[in-house]
Order: sequence, then structure tokens, then C-alpha cells
Amino acid sequence: MSEQNTEEEADPSNEEMVIQTDVSESVEESAPRGETGTVIRSEGINVYYNDDQALSDISLEIPENRVTAMIGPSGCGKSTFLRCINRMNDLVDAARVEGDLYLRGKNVYDDDVDPVALRRRVGMVFQKPNPFPKSIYDNVAYGLEIQDKEGDYDDIVEESLRRAALWGEVKDQLDESGLDLSGGQQQRLCIARAIAPDPEVILMDEPASALDPIATSKIENLISDLAKEYTVVIVTHNMQQAARISDKTAVFLTGGELAEFGDTKGIFEDPESKRVEEYITGKFG
Amino acid sequence: MATEGQTEILESFGQVNKTAGRLFQYLLQTATAFGIIVLAFLLLFVTNDAIQPLTADPGWHLTFFLTLVVPTLAVGTYVYRRNRDALVFGVMVVGLLVVSLMFSGGAALVLIDIVQPDTWAGISLAFLVPAGLVVGLQRYSRQLPFLVRFGTAVVLFYASLLGVPGPLGALVGVSQVLPNTVDIAPSLLSGVPEWLLVVGFLGVPIALGVGAYFRSVHGTEAGRSAAGVAVLATVAGGLLGPLVGVDPLPATTIAAVAVGPTGAYAVGGGISDPDVREGLLVAGALVGGALVGALAVETVGFVGPQAWVDYQFLTSAHSRNAIDAGLYPAIGGSILLMVTVAVLSFPVGVGAAVYLEEYAPENRFKRFVDVNISNLAGVPSVVYGLLGLGVFVTYLGQPTGTVAIGGATLGLLILPIVIISSREAIRSVPNEQRQASYGMGATKWQTVRNVVLPNAFPGILTGTILALGRAIGETAPLIMIGAPSVVFSLPTEFTAKASAMPLQVFAWASLFASEEFYTQAVPAGVVVLVAVLLAMNSVAIVLRNRYQRD
Repeated sequence: MSEQNTEEEADPSNEEMVIQTDVSESVEESAPRGETGTVIRSEGINVYYNDDQALSDISLEIPENRVTAMIGPSGCGKSTFLRCINRMNDLVDAARVEGDLYLRGKNVYDDDVDPVALRRRVGMVFQKPNPFPKSIYDNVAYGLEIQDKEGDYDDIVEESLRRAALWGEVKDQLDESGLDLSGGQQQRLCIARAIAPDPEVILMDEPASALDPIATSKIENLISDLAKEYTVVIVTHNMQQAARISDKTAVFLTGGELAEFGDTKGIFEDPESKRVEEYITGKFG
Repeated sequence: MATEGQTEILESFGQVNKTAGRLFQYLLQTATAFGIIVLAFLLLFVTNDAIQPLTADPGWHLTFFLTLVVPTLAVGTYVYRRNRDALVFGVMVVGLLVVSLMFSGGAALVLIDIVQPDTWAGISLAFLVPAGLVVGLQRYSRQLPFLVRFGTAVVLFYASLLGVPGPLGALVGVSQVLPNTVDIAPSLLSGVPEWLLVVGFLGVPIALGVGAYFRSVHGTEAGRSAAGVAVLATVAGGLLGPLVGVDPLPATTIAAVAVGPTGAYAVGGGISDPDVREGLLVAGALVGGALVGALAVETVGFVGPQAWVDYQFLTSAHSRNAIDAGLYPAIGGSILLMVTVAVLSFPVGVGAAVYLEEYAPENRFKRFVDVNISNLAGVPSVVYGLLGLGVFVTYLGQPTGTVAIGGATLGLLILPIVIISSREAIRSVPNEQRQASYGMGATKWQTVRNVVLPNAFPGILTGTILALGRAIGETAPLIMIGAPSVVFSLPTEFTAKASAMPLQVFAWASLFASEEFYTQAVPAGVVVLVAVLLAMNSVAIVLRNRYQRD
């Protein structure tokens, strides 16, 4: 799969990746796949920034090897929820998290959980591409080095770059700085960096929002491929994107509440709540 | 207002009064110009006294005008018209040559009179051997627990630097079994000529640094060639020096510090970027013109200016006669003081900055420290001198005026500046970088070591060099701790008394105040001091510009 993918990516003439904008059509295309086990389960998560409540009582279950999308208007807390999963909120002094969140049955907010160890199982890709000012090779190998991973780093770096559909473009310039790449390439480098240590879950916080449409569609194809082996949770403010690539969708609405959670097809075609329907059809948000 | 579908044509848009703003702008310009002009005038005045260009033959001026000024201007204009970057590159090459020649002079001074090459080799080996062992240990036994590796590293460095059982053994009365590497090295290396030691322990490290720089800019291949060129230049310096009448030791040092890096920069830059290659013409015109001019003047017999800054001034000690007086021991003292200051204030200052930026919790104590570091940076230097006198001399009972005490006092003086500029550099590392590292499952220590410090390092280095520039010009603290104004020999250890350049100039202007000293030694001393300061600051400025652009 990766070989083919590389060929595709390496070929600059291959620009026919159509950016689908029609919601219903794309939902039709993504054939419903069978149910899989739950990887992440949250129960009554509340998050406060000082005295302001950012999330209220979020409970949901994220299935394995599927893409789960979080959508909602700005400031609805979808990114905050994402950062609860790998406890990145711990780094914000003002943030306080209440409730339980289980990763493979273990509550990550238990006292005996080391957030650093947790983050080694949960990779993260950020909104703005943020490669380190190191060589492309060192960027991808960063996680391997800090986690003291065993194995041949050259092979792992190549494999990760192939999976991130970047190998064909950078294989001759692994020594060069990751910052010399274009924005879309940088984001795929960040994805390669995140998957190199082989995490169980990949969190993506609006990974394509800073990119142009072509780079965006490359990232979207990549996410669908990644879901074959990883559990992907993606935050996006782009509803078409959520409809195109996700299996499950969670709709957050202003005030930090989870308005609806279910199969993507169901959410977009037949939302239960009036407010979600209004949001999806663009009446507000 | 448009009438009948026809767009009205305006006569004018009117005027807005800008008098106040313009006046304000002129005032600002005047203030800026005033400061610059006063300073430039002072420097010009002092330089004129020190160099005395008007005492030269008119023929001397004419010769250099024809060989140096005219060709350089012509070539410079030609290159500038074609490609501005090329001119910048050419000027950079010459600037690097001048600055690195000054540094190489300092290095040669140290190697000839302060630290003998075999001692220097011993010190280098004492660090290199355990460092190599530790790196090997890291690579081949990742599974060893951290404390074991750390303990081994400490023991290795201790044994290498201090011997077995070392000062700890002396405390409990055990005599030394194995001497330390610094003591062993000279006997091991006794057969090797001094200049080869300089090649090995000064030329090679510098060449490796040059190679690393070129690898980061132009790739692995360029890095290797640059390092090779630098090493070859150093060896060539040692072999060719005696042929032109320079001792092998200073020749090698100058080649290692100045010729090698400049050559690598010129050749490497010219090869990798053909656009700027023409800049080398400018460098060639400047250097070649100066050499041809000097040769011509010598052949014809024109007398040059009676400059007070000359070889004699730079290489002799103070004398009763202004004409024989020199700055040599003070230059050596300043170099040793700066090394001490850097060694003491850099780790402490950077450590404090990292703690305050990355680790310290936001609370009242941190705010208190924040405010007081800024206050400490503004405390007059004479107060720091008093502090040094009180703590080191009176309380700890150290002898007055030694290199160690002077360095420690000046180190305290610039510590707040180092902390503030390092914090600034650390704060300017984008937060996204830290987030990315934490998101990968890095600990705080791994993030600081792998992401924050490498990114902040150029800024930290720039700030430290500028702070050292302040320390090198300080007189008051040195007077307070009783540093001697006049020293006739170089200090050879940290417990020796040392003078410093500003102190020597101050002594000439006060203790030995006479017409002769005022008009000869003082201006010469000031020019040397300012030149050293500018050389240091130019390194900082180049570093800053280079990393701001990236």
C-alpha cells in the first residue's frame, strides 16, 4: 500500500485529487464498516479554565481503527477534549479536568498514571505544522530517541515517511532541515513524526486548517489510510472534511456540551437534535 | 453628491496638518545624530592620537591610495553594480580575517606565555578521554540505568581531571596513586614538537567546528572539505611559518584560528554559491592592495605614520617612558579575566535562566526574583567591587587582586545581564516547539535539552558575548578588589595577580599622568581596548543576524 501511495505522491502530474464538497455524496461513498471495540471511553469529563467551564459532562466512546471526528463552532471545547485524551491540558496552569477518561480500560486521570508515559502511547498532530528546526531524519527519529526505542532507526524513519506519503518527496534530502519543506509537507512530516514510535491512538487538532486545498486533500487521503492501523481522533471545523473522512462524528456546541455523537452518516443525514441540524446546514456557527 | 449619474471630478482632497509630527521627527533625528556624532568624534580624536596618520610621508599615503584605496573602490563598485550580495560576502571575508587575526593574536599570547602547548594538550586530553568513554558507554549500553551511567561519567571525569584518589583521597590522608591526565600528558607528549600539539589540540577542534558549520549550511560533503581545508591550512602554517621568519608556534596558532576558518569560509562560500563568487575579488583587492602597498613602501623607503599602537606597544610591559610602555601584561590579564568570567557566569546564568523560564512555578517568589534580577543589572559596578572585596577578600581570606577574584567579581557583575538575555532567548523559542515535544511523550528535561536549549543557544551566546563586552571594560570593581594597576609579567595561574586593559589605561592617565603618557600611551591603550571590544561584539552581531534571518 505504501509503495503505491508513494508513487502517487511523488508524481506531480497527479493533481486529479478532487476536493469533494458535496456532503451527502461523500457519505454515500464511505461504505459503513463493521463495529470495532472501544479504545477510549470518557465519562462525565468537565474542564474548567480558572472559573470558566470549557467542557461540561462529556461522555463518549471512540472505536478502534476508525476515524472519529469532533466538529463544532469556535470555542466549543472540541480541541480541549482532544487534549484531555493525552493530558496535554496538564501543561496549562489554569486548566482543571474532572471526570474519568479510559484508554483501553485504564483511567488516564488515575493518580498512578504518568502523563509522559501516556503521551508515548498517544501521538498528536497540531493545527500549525511544527517540525523541529532539525533535519527531516532527526524530526522523524525524535520520538524514537526520546523513548529509547529499539530497532533500526533508518528503517523506521523510512517506513514512517512512506506511511505519511512523504518518502518519495524527501528521500534524497533527509539531511536537510524540516523547516525547508512546504506547509503541506511539513504537516505530513509531523504526521510521520507522530507515527514513528508506533502509538495506539493519533490525535489531530485541525491538521489541515493552515493548508491549501491540494495539501488538505493529501492529508485527508492519508488519514483514511492511517485508520487501517491506528485509531484516529480528529478535530476539524470543516464539516465536509468530517463527512468525507470520519466514521463517527461528535458535534460539540457552544458552552462545551456534546450535542450529538454517532455514525457520521447518521449525523449528517438525519441529525436528532434541531440545533445540530441548524449547525450542520450552516444556519449558525 | 454625484449628479445625474455623472461622477463628479474632485479638484483636490485637501490637506491635513502634519507640522507637529514632522517637528517631532526632526527632534528625534537630531537626538540620534547628536549621540552618534559625539561618539564618532571622540573615537576619531583618540584614533588620530594613537595612529598619527599625518606623520607619514605624503608618498606613503599616495602609495597606499594607489594600491589599496583606488583598486578596492573600483572593484567594489563593479561588484556592487552586478550583485550586492557578492559585495557583502567579500566584506564578510575581510571582516572575518581581521577579527580572527585579532583573536589568533590573543590565542598565540596565551599559548606562548600563559598555558604551554603541552599543558593545553593535557587539559584537552583530560576532558576528551572521559568524554569519549562516556559517549561510547551511552551508545553501547542504552539499557543501563541512568544513575549508573551518570555515576560512571562523574567518576571518569574526576579521575581524569584530578587523578586517583585525588583531593578526596587527600582529605582522608591517602596519597595519590595515579596522577591526573593534565600532569601525565606533558611527559607522554614530550617528543612531539609544540606546533604539532597546537595542530592537534587547537587546529583540529576548530576545523571540526568549521566543518560542522559548513555541514549545517551546505551539506555533509561541504562540511568534510571545509574541515579538511582548515586542518591543511594549520599544518601549512606550522611548516611555512619559519620560512617567512615567524616561529612555528605563533604561525600555527594564527593559521588555526584565523587563516583556516577564513579560508574555508571564502572557498566554501565561493564554491557553493557562484552568485557571490565575485565578492572574493573585493577581498582580494583589499588584502592584495595592502600587501602590495606595504611592499612598495618598504622598497621605496617612505616612512609610515608614527603610530603609538604598534608591535612594540602590543608586546611590551609598562615602562617609565611613555615611548617604551606597552600593554602586553594587561592584554594577557584581560584575556584570563574574561575566560574566568565566562566559565563562572555562563553556566550559572544560563542555568538560572532555564530554571526561571521552564521550571519555576508562577508565584510570588518568582515575581520577587524577576524584579530583583532587573534591579541587580542596574547596580553600579563599584558596588559589585565592594561586594567582591567583602566576600572574597575579607570573608574568604583570599589574596587581593588575583585573576580568580577579579573574574569572580566581574562574573557577579554580568550575571544578571547573562540571566536576562538568556531568558529572552529561551522565551523566544516558539511554544509550538515545546508542545510538539511534549506531545511526543518527551519529559521536561528531554524537551529542554533537545528543543529549547538548541533553539535558544545562538541568542544565549549573543547575550553572553555582549555581557562579556561590558565586563572587559570595567575598571571600578578591579580597583576595589585591589588589582594592581601595573604588572610587568603575565599571570600564569588563576591565583596570580593580574592587571587589565582598562586598569592599565586608567593608571597611565592617573598615576603616571604626564604630557607624554596622555598623548601617547593612553590613546593607544584606548584604541586597543575599543578594537578588542568591537571584535567581540562583531561576533555577537553576526551570530544574531544570522539566526534572526533563519
